[in-house]
Amino acid sequence: MADKRYLTGCSAAAQAAKLAEVEVVCSYPIRPYTAIMMELAKMVANGELDAEFVHGEGEHAQLSVVLGASAAGARAYTGSAGVGVTYAMELYSPIAGGRYPLQMAIADRTLDPPGDFGSEHTDALSFRDQGWIMGWACSPQEVFDNTLMGFRIGEDPRVMLPQAICQDGYFISHIPDTVLVADPAQVKEFLPPYKAPHPLSMECPVSHGPQIRPDQGAPMDAQRAATFLGLPQVIKEATADFNRIFGRNYDPFLEKYKLEDAEIAFFIQGAHANTCRQTVDKLRQSGVKAGMARLRWVRPWPTHEIAEALGHVKAIASVETSTSYGGAMRGGNLIHELRASLYDLDQRPVVTSFMAGLGGETIWPEDFEYMAKVITQMAKDKKADQYVRWIGFEEE
Amino acid sequence: MSEKLPGYGTITVPLDRSVPFGAVTPAPVLQQELFFTSNWRIVRPVIDDEKCTRCMTCYIACPDSCWAYNEEEDQMVWNAEFCKGCQICIHQCPTEALTPQAELDFEDGVVRLDRPF
Repeated sequence: MADKRYLTGCSAAAQAAKLAEVEVVCSYPIRPYTAIMMELAKMVANGELDAEFVHGEGEHAQLSVVLGASAAGARAYTGSAGVGVTYAMELYSPIAGGRYPLQMAIADRTLDPPGDFGSEHTDALSFRDQGWIMGWACSPQEVFDNTLMGFRIGEDPRVMLPQAICQDGYFISHIPDTVLVADPAQVKEFLPPYKAPHPLSMECPVSHGPQIRPDQGAPMDAQRAATFLGLPQVIKEATADFNRIFGRNYDPFLEKYKLEDAEIAFFIQGAHANTCRQTVDKLRQSGVKAGMARLRWVRPWPTHEIAEALGHVKAIASVETSTSYGGAMRGGNLIHELRASLYDLDQRPVVTSFMAGLGGETIWPEDFEYMAKVITQMAKDKKADQYVRWIGFEEE
Repeated sequence: MSEKLPGYGTITVPLDRSVPFGAVTPAPVLQQELFFTSNWRIVRPVIDDEKCTRCMTCYIACPDSCWAYNEEEDQMVWNAEFCKGCQICIHQCPTEALTPQAELDFEDGVVRLDRPF
C-alpha cells in the first residue's frame, strides 16, 4: 500500500530515488535543490539506502562522477540548481552521447547575476538541446512520479538517455503537499533493475568516450536524433504502465485542463500551472471559455500533441518562466516552439507570450486574469499585436 | 486530429558509417592513427623498473589506455602519442614506481617538437 505523507518536492525526489534504489549519489550544495541530497545522505547514514554517497567538489565533478558510475553499471543520481546547473555544462552532451541513463534532479533557480535565489526555468532549459529527456513537475507528487518515470524511460534499451527531472525551486521544492509514497513492490513492478550494456568488467574491458574522427561524428549525432524519434512511444508505454500500477491519470505529454471547448488557453509548464488552473475555473464561472495546456516534457517536445490539443482554440497565452534574450519573440523560450508546432495548421490560433514568474516572483491570479483579457481581445482581432508582454513592466 | 501535419522523416545510419553505441569500444584497442592527443602534455610519467611490481594499477587507472604490459619483456610499456600527462597513474601507483618529469627534460619532449603529434 502506498504511504500518504506530507512532503516537499525535495523530500519527494529523495523518497523516489530511494525507492528506485539508486546505487551512486553525487552531491554538491546549492539552494534550493540541496535538501534532496540532505535527505539522501541521511538515508545512507541510517542504513535505509545502500548507495555510494560521493561529495563532488563542484557540479562539473558531480556530473563526471555519475557519468562514470552509470558507465560502470550503477543507477546513478545527482542534482543541482541555477548556476550549479550551468557550471556542469560541459558534461551534458557527453552523458547523452555516451548513452548513460543517469538522472539529475533540478530545483530551478535564477541564473546570476547577482545571486537571486528564486525559481526560473532558464537554468535547466539552457541545456535542453543536448540530448536529455527533460520535464517539469507541478507538485511534489509529480516530482516523485517523474523521478520513477524518468529512470524507467531513460533506461529503456530503446532509449538509454539521461533525464533532467525538474521542479520549480521553492514553489515545489520547499512547499509541502500530500504525496503518495509508493509501495516498494509497486516500484519493483514498474522499474526493472538497470542493465548497463558494458558493466565494469576485467573480462570484457571497454573504452568509454574515445576520440572519434570527424566522419564518425555525424553518424553519432544521427543515432542520438533517431532515438528521439522513437522516444514518444516509450514515454507513452511507461506512462500507461505507471497509471495502471500506481493508479494515476497522467497524459504522457500534456495536462489538458478544460481544453475541449476552450476558446482561449494558457500554455505553461511547472508550478504556476496550479494558480493558472484556479484562474481557468474562475474565468469559466464568469463565462469565459478558458483552458490550460501544461507541458510535462519539454524534451522530447510534443509537437503533434500540442497541435491536436490547442489547434482549435482562438488565442493562446504562452506563460514564460525563462528568458531568451534577443530571441525571435524577445521574451521566453516556450513560445518559439509552441508557434512552430502550430504553424502547419490550416487554422492557426493567435499566439502571444507573457513574461511572468521571473526571478522567483509569484504569478498571481490577477496576472493570469490580465493575460486572459489580452488574449480575449486578440481572439476578437484575430491577430496578435505584440509577441510578448513583460508583466509589471509595461508602459501604463 | 483531421489535419495531417508534417512528420519527422526517418533517420537510418548505413552500416558502413555506423559507430558503436555510445562510442563504447572494446579495450584495449589498436590505436587509431588520427588524433594523437598527447601534444598538450607538460609532464610525463617515468617508470622505475626496479620498483614496478607489474600490478597493472596504471593500466586500469589510465583514462586513455596508455599503459600496456609487454609479456615477452616483462615490462610496462608507455604510449607517448596518447598520454596527456594527467598523472593519474603516478598518483595511483602503490609502489611509487612512477614519477612526473617535465617534457622539457626530454629530447623528444612535445614542447621541443617542430610539429607536435
